[in-house]
Amino acid sequence: MIEIGSFIKLQRTKQEKTLGELADGVVSVSYLSKIENLKTQASPEIIQLLCDRLGINVNNCEEGLIKEKLEQWYSMLFEVNNKEEIITAYEEIQEILDRNLSENLMLFEIHKIRYFLILGEYEEAEKKIDELKGLSNNFDSLQQFYWFKFRGNFYTAHSDYSLAMQMYKKSEEKSGYIEFELEEIEVADLKYTIAVTHSKLRNTLEAIEYANKALDIYMKLYNFLRCAQCHNILGISYRRIKMYDKAIKNYNLALHLGKLNNNNQLIQLTNQNLGYLYSTKGNSIEAIKHYTEVIYDKAVQPVERLATVSSLIREYYTIKNYEDTRKIIDYGLELIEEISDIESYRIFYYVIYTYHYLLNNEDDKFEKLVKQDFLPYLQKHEDYASLIIYSKLLANHYEKIHKYKDASKYYKEANFAYEQIINI
Amino acid sequence: MKKILAGLSLGALLVTGFVFADAPTDLSMDREPSVFSIQQATVKL
Repeated sequence: MIEIGSFIKLQRTKQEKTLGELADGVVSVSYLSKIENLKTQASPEIIQLLCDRLGINVNNCEEGLIKEKLEQWYSMLFEVNNKEEIITAYEEIQEILDRNLSENLMLFEIHKIRYFLILGEYEEAEKKIDELKGLSNNFDSLQQFYWFKFRGNFYTAHSDYSLAMQMYKKSEEKSGYIEFELEEIEVADLKYTIAVTHSKLRNTLEAIEYANKALDIYMKLYNFLRCAQCHNILGISYRRIKMYDKAIKNYNLALHLGKLNNNNQLIQLTNQNLGYLYSTKGNSIEAIKHYTEVIYDKAVQPVERLATVSSLIREYYTIKNYEDTRKIIDYGLELIEEISDIESYRIFYYVIYTYHYLLNNEDDKFEKLVKQDFLPYLQKHEDYASLIIYSKLLANHYEKIHKYKDASKYYKEANFAYEQIINI
Repeated sequence: MKKILAGLSLGALLVTGFVFADAPTDLSMDREPSVFSIQQATVKL
Protein backbone atom coordinates (compact mmCIF):
# COMPACT_ATOMS: atom_id res chain seq x y z
CA MET A 1 0.00 0.00 0.00
CA ILE A 2 1.42 3.37 -0.99
CA GLU A 3 1.77 5.94 1.77
CA ILE A 4 -0.28 9.04 1.00
CA GLY A 5 2.66 11.36 1.70
CA SER A 6 4.86 9.61 -0.89
CA PHE A 7 1.99 9.74 -3.35
CA ILE A 8 1.50 13.48 -2.88
CA LYS A 9 5.23 14.07 -3.29
CA LEU A 10 5.30 11.99 -6.48
CA GLN A 11 2.32 13.78 -8.01
CA ARG A 12 3.54 17.23 -6.96
CA THR A 13 6.96 16.59 -8.52
CA LYS A 14 5.33 15.22 -11.67
CA GLN A 15 3.20 18.35 -11.98
CA GLU A 16 6.31 20.46 -11.37
CA LYS A 17 4.74 22.27 -8.41
CA THR A 18 6.89 23.59 -5.56
CA LEU A 19 6.12 22.78 -1.93
CA GLY A 20 5.01 26.39 -1.52
CA GLU A 21 2.61 26.27 -4.45
CA LEU A 22 0.88 23.17 -3.19
CA ALA A 23 0.85 24.22 0.46
CA ASP A 24 -0.40 27.76 -0.22
CA GLY A 25 -3.56 28.40 1.81
CA VAL A 26 -3.82 24.78 2.99
CA VAL A 27 -0.88 24.07 5.29
CA SER A 28 2.56 25.50 5.98
CA VAL A 29 5.45 24.48 3.73
CA SER A 30 7.23 22.74 6.59
CA TYR A 31 4.08 20.77 7.48
CA LEU A 32 3.63 19.68 3.85
CA SER A 33 7.26 18.58 3.79
CA LYS A 34 6.60 16.47 6.90
CA ILE A 35 3.52 14.91 5.27
CA GLU A 36 5.47 14.06 2.13
CA ASN A 37 8.33 12.52 4.08
CA LEU A 38 5.97 10.51 6.25
CA LYS A 39 7.00 12.31 9.43
CA THR A 40 3.46 13.16 10.34
CA GLN A 41 -0.03 11.93 9.62
CA ALA A 42 -2.28 14.63 8.23
CA SER A 43 -6.02 14.75 8.79
CA PRO A 44 -8.29 13.37 6.02
CA GLU A 45 -9.53 16.94 5.39
CA ILE A 46 -6.03 18.21 4.65
CA ILE A 47 -5.29 15.24 2.43
CA GLN A 48 -8.52 15.89 0.55
CA LEU A 49 -7.61 19.58 0.03
CA LEU A 50 -4.10 18.72 -1.21
CA CYS A 51 -5.41 16.03 -3.57
CA ASP A 52 -8.10 18.41 -4.86
CA ARG A 53 -5.40 20.88 -5.71
CA LEU A 54 -3.48 18.15 -7.54
CA GLY A 55 -6.68 17.07 -9.34
CA ILE A 56 -6.68 13.60 -7.82
CA ASN A 57 -9.65 11.46 -6.84
CA VAL A 58 -8.98 10.12 -3.32
CA ASN A 59 -11.90 7.71 -3.16
CA ASN A 60 -10.73 5.50 -5.95
CA CYS A 61 -13.50 3.37 -7.32
CA GLU A 62 -11.42 2.18 -10.26
CA GLU A 63 -8.97 0.09 -8.22
CA GLY A 64 -10.16 -3.21 -9.68
CA LEU A 65 -9.73 -1.96 -13.22
CA ILE A 66 -6.31 -0.48 -12.43
CA LYS A 67 -5.13 -3.76 -10.93
CA GLU A 68 -6.26 -5.73 -13.94
CA LYS A 69 -4.61 -3.36 -16.39
CA LEU A 70 -1.38 -3.27 -14.40
CA GLU A 71 -1.09 -7.07 -14.26
CA GLN A 72 -1.55 -7.22 -17.99
CA TRP A 73 1.00 -4.48 -18.60
CA TYR A 74 3.62 -6.01 -16.27
CA SER A 75 3.36 -9.27 -18.19
CA MET A 76 4.14 -7.40 -21.41
CA LEU A 77 7.51 -6.11 -20.23
CA PHE A 78 9.66 -8.50 -22.26
CA GLU A 79 11.60 -7.60 -25.36
CA VAL A 80 9.77 -10.05 -27.63
CA ASN A 81 6.50 -8.16 -27.20
CA ASN A 82 5.18 -5.44 -29.45
CA LYS A 83 6.63 -2.11 -28.30
CA GLU A 84 3.69 -0.05 -29.55
CA GLU A 85 1.24 -2.17 -27.56
CA ILE A 86 3.40 -1.79 -24.46
CA ILE A 87 3.46 2.01 -24.91
CA THR A 88 -0.31 2.24 -25.54
CA ALA A 89 -1.06 0.21 -22.41
CA TYR A 90 1.38 2.36 -20.42
CA GLU A 91 -0.24 5.61 -21.51
CA GLU A 92 -3.70 4.33 -20.70
CA ILE A 93 -2.66 3.32 -17.17
CA GLN A 94 -0.77 6.56 -16.62
CA GLU A 95 -3.86 8.53 -17.56
CA ILE A 96 -6.01 6.64 -15.02
CA LEU A 97 -3.41 6.90 -12.27
CA ASP A 98 -3.02 10.65 -12.76
CA ARG A 99 -6.66 11.01 -11.75
CA ASN A 100 -6.87 8.44 -8.96
CA LEU A 101 -5.12 7.60 -5.74
CA SER A 102 -4.23 3.95 -6.21
CA GLU A 103 -2.46 1.61 -3.84
CA ASN A 104 -0.65 0.23 -6.89
CA LEU A 105 0.84 3.53 -7.98
CA MET A 106 4.29 2.99 -6.51
CA LEU A 107 4.62 -0.45 -8.04
CA PHE A 108 3.70 1.10 -11.38
CA GLU A 109 6.39 3.74 -10.91
CA ILE A 110 8.96 1.04 -10.10
CA HIS A 111 7.95 -1.00 -13.17
CA LYS A 112 8.65 2.05 -15.31
CA ILE A 113 12.37 1.28 -14.86
CA ARG A 114 11.82 -2.03 -16.64
CA TYR A 115 9.54 -0.36 -19.17
CA PHE A 116 12.21 2.13 -20.22
CA LEU A 117 14.83 -0.62 -20.40
CA ILE A 118 12.64 -2.73 -22.70
CA LEU A 119 12.16 0.30 -24.94
CA GLY A 120 15.94 0.86 -24.93
CA GLU A 121 15.50 4.28 -23.25
CA TYR A 122 18.33 3.85 -20.78
CA GLU A 123 18.58 7.52 -19.76
CA GLU A 124 14.90 7.58 -18.87
CA ALA A 125 15.37 4.40 -16.82
CA GLU A 126 18.24 6.05 -14.96
CA LYS A 127 16.16 9.18 -14.33
CA LYS A 128 13.36 7.06 -12.93
CA ILE A 129 15.80 5.27 -10.62
CA ASP A 130 17.12 8.62 -9.36
CA GLU A 131 13.59 9.91 -8.87
CA LEU A 132 12.54 6.86 -6.86
CA LYS A 133 15.68 6.71 -4.72
CA GLY A 134 14.26 9.40 -2.41
CA LEU A 135 11.16 7.30 -1.83
CA SER A 136 12.75 3.86 -1.63
CA ASN A 137 13.16 3.93 2.17
CA ASN A 138 9.40 3.66 2.48
CA PHE A 139 8.98 0.79 0.01
CA ASP A 140 7.29 -2.36 1.29
CA SER A 141 8.89 -5.77 0.65
CA LEU A 142 7.12 -6.38 -2.67
CA GLN A 143 8.12 -2.95 -3.93
CA GLN A 144 11.69 -3.53 -2.78
CA PHE A 145 11.73 -6.89 -4.56
CA TYR A 146 11.01 -5.19 -7.91
CA TRP A 147 13.05 -2.08 -7.07
CA PHE A 148 16.22 -4.15 -6.71
CA LYS A 149 15.36 -6.51 -9.55
CA PHE A 150 14.87 -3.72 -12.06
CA ARG A 151 17.92 -1.84 -10.87
CA GLY A 152 19.75 -5.10 -11.53
CA ASN A 153 18.19 -5.12 -15.00
CA PHE A 154 19.54 -1.60 -15.49
CA TYR A 155 23.09 -2.76 -14.75
CA THR A 156 22.59 -5.84 -16.94
CA ALA A 157 21.60 -3.56 -19.81
CA HIS A 158 24.88 -1.70 -19.24
CA SER A 159 26.87 -4.96 -19.06
CA ASP A 160 27.90 -4.24 -15.45
CA TYR A 161 27.22 -7.74 -14.20
CA SER A 162 28.85 -7.37 -10.77
CA LEU A 163 26.55 -4.52 -9.78
CA ALA A 164 23.63 -6.32 -11.42
CA MET A 165 24.35 -9.36 -9.25
CA GLN A 166 24.41 -7.26 -6.08
CA MET A 167 20.96 -5.94 -6.94
CA TYR A 168 19.54 -9.36 -7.86
CA LYS A 169 20.75 -10.85 -4.60
CA LYS A 170 19.07 -8.02 -2.66
CA SER A 171 15.90 -8.66 -4.63
CA GLU A 172 16.12 -12.35 -3.77
CA GLU A 173 16.59 -11.48 -0.10
CA LYS A 174 13.55 -9.18 -0.13
CA SER A 175 11.41 -11.90 -1.69
CA GLY A 176 11.59 -13.72 1.64
CA TYR A 177 9.85 -10.86 3.44
CA ILE A 178 6.88 -10.38 1.12
CA GLU A 179 3.66 -10.84 3.10
CA PHE A 180 2.11 -13.19 0.56
CA GLU A 181 3.75 -15.87 -1.51
CA LEU A 182 5.19 -14.61 -4.78
CA GLU A 183 3.91 -16.19 -7.96
CA GLU A 184 6.15 -19.09 -8.96
CA ILE A 185 6.79 -17.49 -12.33
CA GLU A 186 8.25 -14.44 -10.57
CA VAL A 187 10.49 -16.60 -8.40
CA ALA A 188 11.64 -18.52 -11.47
CA ASP A 189 12.33 -15.34 -13.43
CA LEU A 190 14.64 -14.02 -10.73
CA LYS A 191 16.45 -17.38 -10.40
CA TYR A 192 16.87 -17.48 -14.18
CA THR A 193 18.15 -13.89 -14.20
CA ILE A 194 20.66 -14.72 -11.46
CA ALA A 195 21.75 -17.83 -13.40
CA VAL A 196 22.42 -15.73 -16.53
CA THR A 197 24.32 -13.16 -14.48
CA HIS A 198 26.47 -15.81 -12.77
CA SER A 199 27.24 -17.22 -16.19
CA LYS A 200 28.28 -13.77 -17.44
CA LEU A 201 30.55 -13.47 -14.39
CA ARG A 202 31.98 -16.96 -15.05
CA ASN A 203 30.67 -18.21 -11.69
CA THR A 204 30.07 -21.60 -13.25
CA LEU A 205 28.89 -23.64 -10.28
CA GLU A 206 26.50 -20.93 -9.14
CA ALA A 207 25.17 -20.61 -12.69
CA ILE A 208 24.41 -24.35 -12.69
CA GLU A 209 22.74 -24.14 -9.29
CA TYR A 210 20.43 -21.28 -10.24
CA ALA A 211 19.69 -22.56 -13.74
CA ASN A 212 18.56 -25.85 -12.19
CA LYS A 213 16.39 -24.05 -9.63
CA ALA A 214 14.72 -22.01 -12.38
CA LEU A 215 14.41 -25.07 -14.61
CA ASP A 216 12.55 -27.02 -11.91
CA ILE A 217 9.89 -24.32 -11.72
CA TYR A 218 9.63 -23.72 -15.46
CA MET A 219 9.14 -27.45 -16.02
CA LYS A 220 6.25 -27.47 -13.58
CA LEU A 221 4.76 -24.46 -15.35
CA TYR A 222 5.29 -26.00 -18.81
CA ASN A 223 7.20 -22.87 -19.81
CA PHE A 224 9.32 -24.66 -22.40
CA LEU A 225 10.97 -21.60 -23.88
CA ARG A 226 12.42 -20.62 -20.55
CA CYS A 227 13.37 -24.29 -20.00
CA ALA A 228 15.34 -24.11 -23.25
CA GLN A 229 17.08 -20.95 -22.08
CA CYS A 230 18.01 -22.65 -18.80
CA HIS A 231 19.41 -25.61 -20.79
CA ASN A 232 21.59 -23.13 -22.68
CA ILE A 233 22.99 -21.75 -19.41
CA LEU A 234 23.65 -25.33 -18.27
CA GLY A 235 25.27 -26.15 -21.61
CA ILE A 236 27.61 -23.18 -21.36
CA SER A 237 28.46 -23.98 -17.74
CA TYR A 238 29.20 -27.68 -18.32
CA ARG A 239 31.33 -26.81 -21.34
CA ARG A 240 33.38 -24.46 -19.19
CA ILE A 241 34.15 -27.22 -16.72
CA LYS A 242 34.78 -29.57 -19.65
CA MET A 243 31.85 -31.88 -18.93
CA TYR A 244 31.14 -32.02 -22.65
CA ASP A 245 28.61 -34.86 -22.65
CA LYS A 246 26.41 -33.05 -20.16
CA ALA A 247 26.81 -29.81 -22.09
CA ILE A 248 25.78 -31.46 -25.38
CA LYS A 249 22.84 -33.17 -23.70
CA ASN A 250 21.58 -29.80 -22.42
CA TYR A 251 22.07 -28.11 -25.77
CA ASN A 252 20.22 -30.93 -27.54
CA LEU A 253 17.32 -30.54 -25.11
CA ALA A 254 17.31 -26.80 -25.81
CA LEU A 255 17.31 -27.46 -29.57
CA HIS A 256 14.49 -29.96 -29.20
CA LEU A 257 12.37 -27.50 -27.19
CA GLY A 258 13.17 -24.66 -29.58
CA LYS A 259 12.02 -26.77 -32.52
CA LEU A 260 8.89 -27.98 -30.71
CA ASN A 261 7.94 -24.37 -30.09
CA ASN A 262 9.06 -23.28 -33.53
CA ASN A 263 11.24 -20.64 -31.90
CA ASN A 264 14.07 -19.69 -34.22
CA GLN A 265 15.63 -17.37 -31.70
CA LEU A 266 16.29 -20.25 -29.34
CA ILE A 267 17.31 -22.66 -32.06
CA GLN A 268 19.97 -20.30 -33.35
CA LEU A 269 21.20 -19.32 -29.90
CA THR A 270 21.72 -23.02 -29.25
CA ASN A 271 23.39 -23.61 -32.61
CA GLN A 272 25.81 -20.79 -31.84
CA ASN A 273 26.65 -22.30 -28.45
CA LEU A 274 26.96 -25.82 -29.86
CA GLY A 275 29.24 -24.50 -32.61
CA TYR A 276 31.46 -22.92 -30.00
CA LEU A 277 31.50 -26.10 -27.90
CA TYR A 278 32.74 -28.16 -30.86
CA SER A 279 35.21 -25.44 -31.78
CA THR A 280 36.78 -25.56 -28.31
CA LYS A 281 36.90 -29.35 -28.57
CA GLY A 282 38.81 -28.98 -31.83
CA ASN A 283 36.00 -30.55 -33.86
CA SER A 284 35.86 -27.96 -36.65
CA ILE A 285 33.54 -30.01 -38.87
CA GLU A 286 30.76 -30.12 -36.26
CA ALA A 287 31.43 -26.48 -35.32
CA ILE A 288 31.05 -25.44 -38.96
CA LYS A 289 27.80 -27.41 -39.23
CA HIS A 290 26.18 -25.47 -36.37
CA TYR A 291 27.62 -22.07 -37.25
CA THR A 292 26.39 -22.46 -40.82
CA GLU A 293 22.82 -22.94 -39.55
CA VAL A 294 23.02 -19.50 -37.94
CA ILE A 295 24.63 -17.41 -40.65
CA TYR A 296 22.14 -18.15 -43.42
CA ASP A 297 19.04 -17.66 -41.27
CA LYS A 298 17.70 -14.35 -42.52
CA ALA A 299 15.52 -14.00 -39.45
CA VAL A 300 18.67 -13.49 -37.38
CA GLN A 301 19.87 -9.90 -37.23
CA PRO A 302 22.96 -9.12 -39.34
CA VAL A 303 25.03 -8.31 -36.27
CA GLU A 304 24.36 -11.77 -34.80
CA ARG A 305 25.19 -13.38 -38.12
CA LEU A 306 28.35 -11.29 -38.35
CA ALA A 307 29.52 -12.54 -34.95
CA THR A 308 28.99 -16.14 -36.08
CA VAL A 309 30.64 -15.42 -39.44
CA SER A 310 33.78 -14.37 -37.53
CA SER A 311 33.82 -17.74 -35.77
CA LEU A 312 33.15 -19.63 -38.97
CA ILE A 313 35.98 -17.93 -40.84
CA ARG A 314 38.38 -19.09 -38.14
CA GLU A 315 37.13 -22.67 -38.32
CA TYR A 316 37.48 -22.89 -42.10
CA TYR A 317 40.92 -21.31 -41.94
CA THR A 318 41.99 -23.70 -39.18
CA ILE A 319 41.17 -26.74 -41.35
CA LYS A 320 42.88 -25.02 -44.30
CA ASN A 321 39.68 -24.86 -46.34
CA TYR A 322 40.66 -21.56 -47.93
CA GLU A 323 37.98 -21.64 -50.62
CA ASP A 324 35.16 -21.65 -48.09
CA THR A 325 37.04 -19.17 -45.89
CA ARG A 326 36.95 -16.74 -48.84
CA LYS A 327 33.25 -17.36 -49.44
CA ILE A 328 32.40 -16.63 -45.82
CA ILE A 329 34.63 -13.55 -45.80
CA ASP A 330 32.71 -12.18 -48.80
CA TYR A 331 29.47 -12.90 -47.01
CA GLY A 332 30.80 -11.15 -43.89
CA LEU A 333 31.73 -8.09 -45.96
CA GLU A 334 28.16 -7.97 -47.28
CA LEU A 335 26.84 -8.12 -43.72
CA ILE A 336 29.12 -5.26 -42.64
CA GLU A 337 27.43 -3.12 -45.30
CA GLU A 338 24.06 -3.88 -43.71
CA ILE A 339 24.99 -2.81 -40.19
CA SER A 340 24.45 0.83 -39.42
CA ASP A 341 26.48 1.14 -36.21
CA ILE A 342 29.41 -1.07 -37.19
CA GLU A 343 31.62 1.02 -34.87
CA SER A 344 30.06 -0.83 -31.92
CA TYR A 345 30.98 -4.14 -33.47
CA ARG A 346 34.40 -3.27 -34.88
CA ILE A 347 35.93 -6.45 -33.49
CA PHE A 348 34.14 -8.48 -36.16
CA TYR A 349 35.31 -6.05 -38.78
CA TYR A 350 38.89 -6.67 -37.64
CA VAL A 351 38.49 -10.46 -37.80
CA ILE A 352 37.02 -10.44 -41.28
CA TYR A 353 39.59 -8.04 -42.75
CA THR A 354 42.45 -9.84 -41.01
CA TYR A 355 41.67 -13.07 -42.88
CA HIS A 356 40.69 -11.17 -46.01
CA TYR A 357 44.14 -9.54 -46.28
CA LEU A 358 45.90 -12.72 -45.23
CA LEU A 359 44.31 -14.87 -47.91
CA ASN A 360 44.81 -12.21 -50.59
CA ASN A 361 48.49 -12.00 -49.67
CA GLU A 362 48.11 -8.30 -48.94
CA ASP A 363 50.93 -8.49 -46.42
CA ASP A 364 51.29 -4.78 -45.66
CA LYS A 365 47.60 -4.30 -45.00
CA PHE A 366 47.42 -7.49 -42.94
CA GLU A 367 50.39 -6.54 -40.75
CA LYS A 368 49.20 -2.95 -40.33
CA LEU A 369 45.67 -3.96 -39.36
CA VAL A 370 46.70 -6.63 -36.87
CA LYS A 371 49.59 -4.67 -35.32
CA GLN A 372 48.08 -1.19 -35.18
CA ASP A 373 44.40 -1.85 -34.67
CA PHE A 374 43.40 -5.40 -33.84
CA LEU A 375 45.94 -6.44 -31.20
CA PRO A 376 45.78 -3.08 -29.34
CA TYR A 377 41.98 -3.39 -29.36
CA LEU A 378 42.17 -6.87 -27.83
CA GLN A 379 44.73 -5.69 -25.27
CA LYS A 380 42.50 -2.77 -24.29
CA HIS A 381 39.58 -5.15 -23.76
CA GLU A 382 41.79 -7.74 -22.00
CA ASP A 383 40.58 -10.41 -24.42
CA TYR A 384 43.55 -12.72 -23.82
CA ALA A 385 42.04 -15.76 -25.54
CA SER A 386 41.75 -13.82 -28.80
CA LEU A 387 45.15 -12.20 -28.24
CA ILE A 388 46.73 -15.67 -28.29
CA ILE A 389 45.00 -16.54 -31.56
CA TYR A 390 45.83 -13.34 -33.44
CA SER A 391 49.34 -12.83 -32.04
CA LYS A 392 50.12 -16.38 -33.18
CA LEU A 393 48.56 -15.73 -36.56
CA LEU A 394 50.84 -12.73 -37.03
CA ALA A 395 53.85 -14.64 -35.71
CA ASN A 396 53.17 -17.52 -38.12
CA HIS A 397 52.95 -15.05 -40.96
CA TYR A 398 56.31 -13.47 -40.08
CA GLU A 399 57.87 -16.91 -39.75
CA LYS A 400 56.60 -17.88 -43.18
CA ILE A 401 58.23 -14.84 -44.78
CA HIS A 402 61.43 -15.44 -42.81
CA LYS A 403 61.12 -12.40 -40.52
CA TYR A 404 62.14 -14.39 -37.48
CA LYS A 405 62.74 -11.45 -35.16
CA ASP A 406 59.17 -10.19 -35.66
CA ALA A 407 57.84 -13.75 -35.42
CA SER A 408 59.59 -14.20 -32.09
CA LYS A 409 58.12 -10.92 -30.79
CA TYR A 410 54.56 -12.00 -31.48
CA TYR A 411 55.04 -15.54 -30.23
CA LYS A 412 56.19 -13.89 -27.01
CA GLU A 413 53.03 -11.75 -26.99
CA ALA A 414 50.92 -14.88 -27.45
CA ASN A 415 52.78 -16.49 -24.59
CA PHE A 416 52.25 -13.43 -22.39
CA ALA A 417 48.49 -13.52 -23.12
CA TYR A 418 48.48 -17.21 -22.24
CA GLU A 419 50.12 -16.45 -18.91
CA GLN A 420 47.42 -13.88 -18.20
CA ILE A 421 44.76 -16.54 -18.71
CA ILE A 422 46.58 -18.96 -16.44
CA ASN A 423 46.83 -16.24 -13.77
CA ILE A 424 43.13 -15.51 -14.09
CA MET B 1 40.68 2.61 -41.03
CA LYS B 2 38.67 5.00 -38.84
CA LYS B 3 37.41 6.72 -41.96
CA ILE B 4 36.18 3.42 -43.38
CA LEU B 5 34.40 2.59 -40.13
CA ALA B 6 32.86 6.04 -39.91
CA GLY B 7 31.74 5.76 -43.52
CA LEU B 8 30.10 2.45 -42.81
CA SER B 9 28.38 3.93 -39.77
CA LEU B 10 26.85 6.60 -41.94
CA GLY B 11 25.48 4.04 -44.37
CA ALA B 12 22.64 3.26 -42.01
CA LEU B 13 20.22 0.67 -43.29
CA LEU B 14 17.07 -0.71 -41.79
CA VAL B 15 17.99 -3.64 -39.61
CA THR B 16 15.46 -6.44 -39.37
CA GLY B 17 15.33 -9.79 -37.63
CA PHE B 18 16.02 -10.87 -34.08
CA VAL B 19 19.00 -10.93 -31.80
CA PHE B 20 19.10 -14.18 -29.86
CA ALA B 21 21.07 -12.86 -26.92
CA ASP B 22 22.49 -9.54 -25.75
CA ALA B 23 24.14 -7.94 -28.79
CA PRO B 24 27.58 -9.50 -29.32
CA THR B 25 30.50 -7.15 -28.74
CA ASP B 26 33.44 -9.50 -28.27
CA LEU B 27 34.82 -12.77 -29.55
CA SER B 28 33.74 -14.77 -26.53
CA MET B 29 31.35 -17.06 -28.28
CA ASP B 30 29.37 -18.43 -25.35
CA ARG B 31 26.09 -16.66 -25.75
CA GLU B 32 23.81 -16.47 -22.75
CA PRO B 33 20.14 -15.85 -23.46
CA SER B 34 18.87 -12.39 -22.58
CA VAL B 35 17.26 -11.70 -19.22
CA PHE B 36 14.70 -9.53 -20.98
CA SER B 37 13.44 -12.16 -23.39
CA ILE B 38 10.53 -14.54 -23.45
CA GLN B 39 8.26 -15.07 -20.54
CA GLN B 40 4.82 -16.59 -20.89
CA ALA B 41 2.82 -15.63 -17.84
CA THR B 42 1.10 -12.82 -16.06
CA VAL B 43 2.13 -11.15 -12.83
CA LYS B 44 -0.49 -11.43 -10.10
CA LEU B 45 -0.86 -8.49 -7.71
